[in-house]
Amino acid sequence: MSVAAHDVEARIAALKRERPRSRFLRFSLGCFLLLMVASWVRGDFDFADTFSAQRGENLERFMMTVRPKPLRERTDEGWVAKPWDWDVAADWAGERLTTGVSRAETEGGVEAAIGTLAIAILAVVLAALGSLVFCWFAARNVATPQPFAPSASPPGPLRRWAWRGVVGSTRVVLILLRSMPEYILAYLIMSMLGSPAWPAVLALAIHNTGILGRLNAETIENVQRRPLVALRALGAGRAKIAAVGIWPAIMPRFLLYFFYRWETCVREATVLGILHLASLGWLIDEAKARGFKYDEMVFFILLGVVLVLVGDVVSAVCRRLVRRAS
Amino acid sequence: MGPDRAPRRPFPLRTRGAVLLVLLGAAVWAFLYLDMSFAQLVPNEGGLEIAQGFFSSAVAPSSEVLGTAVRSLEATVIYAAAAMSVSLLLGLLLGFLASTAWWSGDPVGGRTLFGRTVAPVLYGVTRFVIGFMRSVHEVLWAMLFLAAFGITPISAVIAIAIPYGGTLAKIFSEMIDESDRGPARALRAAGASGLQVYFFGLVPRALPDMLAYAFYRFECALRSSAVLGFFGVATIGRDIELAFLTNRYGEVWTYIYVLMAVIVVFDVWSGHLRKRFVA
Amino acid sequence: MIAPGQASGFRLDGVSVRFGTTAALSDVNLHIEAGEAVALVGPSGAGKSTLLRLLNGTVRPTSGRVYVDGDALASLSRAGLKRTRAAIGFVHQDLSLVPNLRVVQNVMAGRLGRQGFLSSARSMLLPRQAEARRAYELLERVGIPEKLYARTDTLSGGQQQRVAVARALYQQPVALLADEPVSSVDPARARDTVELLTRISREEGLTLVMSIHNLELARECFPRLVGLRAGRLVFDESAGEVGEDEFHALYDLQEAEMLADGA
Repeated sequence: MSVAAHDVEARIAALKRERPRSRFLRFSLGCFLLLMVASWVRGDFDFADTFSAQRGENLERFMMTVRPKPLRERTDEGWVAKPWDWDVAADWAGERLTTGVSRAETEGGVEAAIGTLAIAILAVVLAALGSLVFCWFAARNVATPQPFAPSASPPGPLRRWAWRGVVGSTRVVLILLRSMPEYILAYLIMSMLGSPAWPAVLALAIHNTGILGRLNAETIENVQRRPLVALRALGAGRAKIAAVGIWPAIMPRFLLYFFYRWETCVREATVLGILHLASLGWLIDEAKARGFKYDEMVFFILLGVVLVLVGDVVSAVCRRLVRRAS
Repeated sequence: MGPDRAPRRPFPLRTRGAVLLVLLGAAVWAFLYLDMSFAQLVPNEGGLEIAQGFFSSAVAPSSEVLGTAVRSLEATVIYAAAAMSVSLLLGLLLGFLASTAWWSGDPVGGRTLFGRTVAPVLYGVTRFVIGFMRSVHEVLWAMLFLAAFGITPISAVIAIAIPYGGTLAKIFSEMIDESDRGPARALRAAGASGLQVYFFGLVPRALPDMLAYAFYRFECALRSSAVLGFFGVATIGRDIELAFLTNRYGEVWTYIYVLMAVIVVFDVWSGHLRKRFVA
Repeated sequence: MIAPGQASGFRLDGVSVRFGTTAALSDVNLHIEAGEAVALVGPSGAGKSTLLRLLNGTVRPTSGRVYVDGDALASLSRAGLKRTRAAIGFVHQDLSLVPNLRVVQNVMAGRLGRQGFLSSARSMLLPRQAEARRAYELLERVGIPEKLYARTDTLSGGQQQRVAVARALYQQPVALLADEPVSSVDPARARDTVELLTRISREEGLTLVMSIHNLELARECFPRLVGLRAGRLVFDESAGEVGEDEFHALYDLQEAEMLADGA
C-alpha cells in the first residue's frame, strides 16, 4: 500500500472514531436490550411444563368445549362433537345475544356491547374535559409570567419560579393520573362505589385525562407563535389568547387524539366488566364462573372482537374526516 | 380567481361547534343509557368505611412489605420485558408483511409477478391476523390460555405478546409506509429493487419513531403485566388484590407507590427519547 | 448495450407525454451524443423534469420512442430497465437523501441497483474498507470529505446536494442527469455546484443533461442549450448561437399568456 493510500485509510478511521454519537440513545437501547435478555434468564419460564403432554390434553378438551353446547354431547369418554349445523349454531348465538344471563344484569350480548360503547364514550368525554382543565397549566408557552410577549421588562425570579412550579406540578399530576392501570383503578373504586357503571367510567376517565392532558399540552406548545404574539400586542390576556388564538388552532389535533383514545377505551371497557361492571366483560366472566361455559366465554370474547373492530373503523373514519377538514 | 374557486375555509367554525355538540350529546346519551346518577357517586356505608380506611393509609404505607413489593415488581418487569421481546419480533415480522411499500411496484416497471399475485394476498391475510391479535385484550388472551391449558409464566408472556405484537405491527407498518417517499423515489430511479428501497430508503427514516413507540409500549406492557396479577400471574397486581381484600391498606399503598414509581421512570424516559430523536 | 466506463447517448423520437389531460411534452425530437453536456432551459412547467425522467425510464412516453445508447427503453425487460437505471446517475431537486442516515450510507445507496439484497445490506451496515475509501474519495471530489460519517441532516442544503452528487457518482454511471440541482441553494453555491457537475462529467467523460433555471449560468457552463416551453422544443443551439431574443421569447411569451389568462 502506498503512503498516500495509507494516509487516506488513517483519515477515514479517524473520522469514524470521531463520528458524532448519541450517548443517551445508545444507553437507552442498551438498557432495553439488556432488560429483554435478562428477563428470559431471570424469569421462571419452564418450557417443558408449558408444552407438556398433559397441557396438550387440556387444550384438546378445551377445543371441544368451545363448540356451542347443542353441537356436542357428553358420552362416557367426555364430550364428543355432533355434526356442525349452521341453523342450530345461529339459534344458539342469537339466544346469547338477546337473552339475559342470571346475574349479569343485562339482556344479553347486544345490550352489554352497547353498554361497553356507552362506558367508553362517557369516559373519554370526561377525560377530554379533564384534560382541557389541565393542559393549559402544563404548556410552557402559556404557563409563563409573560406569555407571547417580547420580554420588555423581564419578570422577577420569584414569578418565574412560581410559574415553573405550576408547570412542573401539573405535569407530575398528569403522570400520576396515567401511571395507574385502568383495571386496578376500577378495582379500587368499585369497592367503594356500589354502582356498576361509575367505577369503569371513572377509572378510564382518570387514566385518559393523564394521557390526553400530556398530548394536548404538547399540541399547545407547538402552536404557531406569531398570531398569538399579535393577539398579545392587542392587549389580550391569557384566557383570551387561549380561547381565540390557541383553541381554534389545536382543535383538529385535539379531536384526533380524542378518537384515538376512544378506540383504546372501547378495548379496555370490554375487559373492565370482569369486575362485574356494566360491560361485555361481565358476560365473559359470568360464562366462566357459572361452570366453565367456555363456549359462551369464547362467543362473548369474539363479540368483543367485533366491538373493538367497529370502534377501530369508526375512529379511523372520524380521524380521516378531521384530517381532511383541517 | 373567481369566488367559486376560493379555497374552502379549513374546518369551518360551525362544523366544529356541531362536532363538539354531537360528542357531548353522545356522552349524555351514555349517561342515561347506563342508568347513572350523581347520587351513585356517594359511597354507601360499607363503601365509606373502606374509602376512609384506604385513603387515610395513603400517608402511611407499610414499610414491612417493601421487600415483597420489590420482588413482585421485579417479576412485573420481567414479564413485561419478556413479552416485549416476543412482541417486537412479531411486530417487525408482521409489520413487514403488513406494509405495501416493498411490493406495490415502481411507477414505470409496475409490479413484479410476486407483487401482483402472492403479495396482496399475504398482505390481506396479515392485516386480518393483526386485527384479530389486537382486538382481543391481553386479559382476555390470559383468560383463554388459563382455560385452555392453565396459566404458566410463558402463557402469561404470550398473552401480553400477542395483542402487543399486533399493535406494534400495525403502527410499524403505517410508520414505514407513510414515511417520506422522496429518498425512495431516488433509489428507485437508481435501479434499486422494492426490498432495497423499503429497507434502505423507508425503514431508516421511520426508525426513530418506531423506537420511541416501542419504548412507549414497554411502559404499557408494565401496566398490563401488573394487571395480569389479578388473573393468577405472580406480578404486583396479585399483591395489591390480596392486601386489599384483607384490608391491609398500608400495604396496598406500598405496592401502588412502587409500581407508580417505576412506570413514572419509564414515562419520563420515553418522553425524553421522543423529544430528542423524533423531530 | 449499456456498459460502465463508457459514455452513453440519448435519443428522443417524436416523444409526447400526457398526464391525464395535460400534455407535459409534445412531439419532442432530441439527440444527445455520448459525452455531451446539455442544459435544458425554460420556465417552470415547461416539461424539463419530465424530459429528464424519460431519459432514465422513470416516466414512460405516451407516444414516440426513447433510446438510451441505441436501445429502445420500451423494449427492455424489467432487468434491462433496472440495469439501465443503475447506470444513470440522477441528482434530484431536493429530498432525495435519507436525512437520519450517515453520509457514507447515503453515498453507498448509489450502488443498490448493482447489488443483490444481501450484499447491499452488508455494504450499508458494515461497509468494507475499500468501499468506505471510494466514498471518501468521491466526497473529496465534491469537496466535503470530512463529512463522511456525519449525519446527513446536520449538513447544509448545498452540502447535501454534494452528497447527492457523490451518490450518483458512486453508481459508476455512464451519464448524469440533474433536475434543477441548484434551485434550493443560494446563488454563489449554485455556481459552484453547476461547475462541479460539468467539471466532473468532463473529466470522467460522462454525458451530462441538466435542467436549470438560471440562464446566465447555463450559457456560461454548457456548450449546448435546449430551450423548452409548454412542452415543446423551442430551440436547440450551441451556447454562442442562442441570442437574447430567443431567451426573451422563452419567458416573455409566457408572461403575455399569463396576462391573457388573467384578463
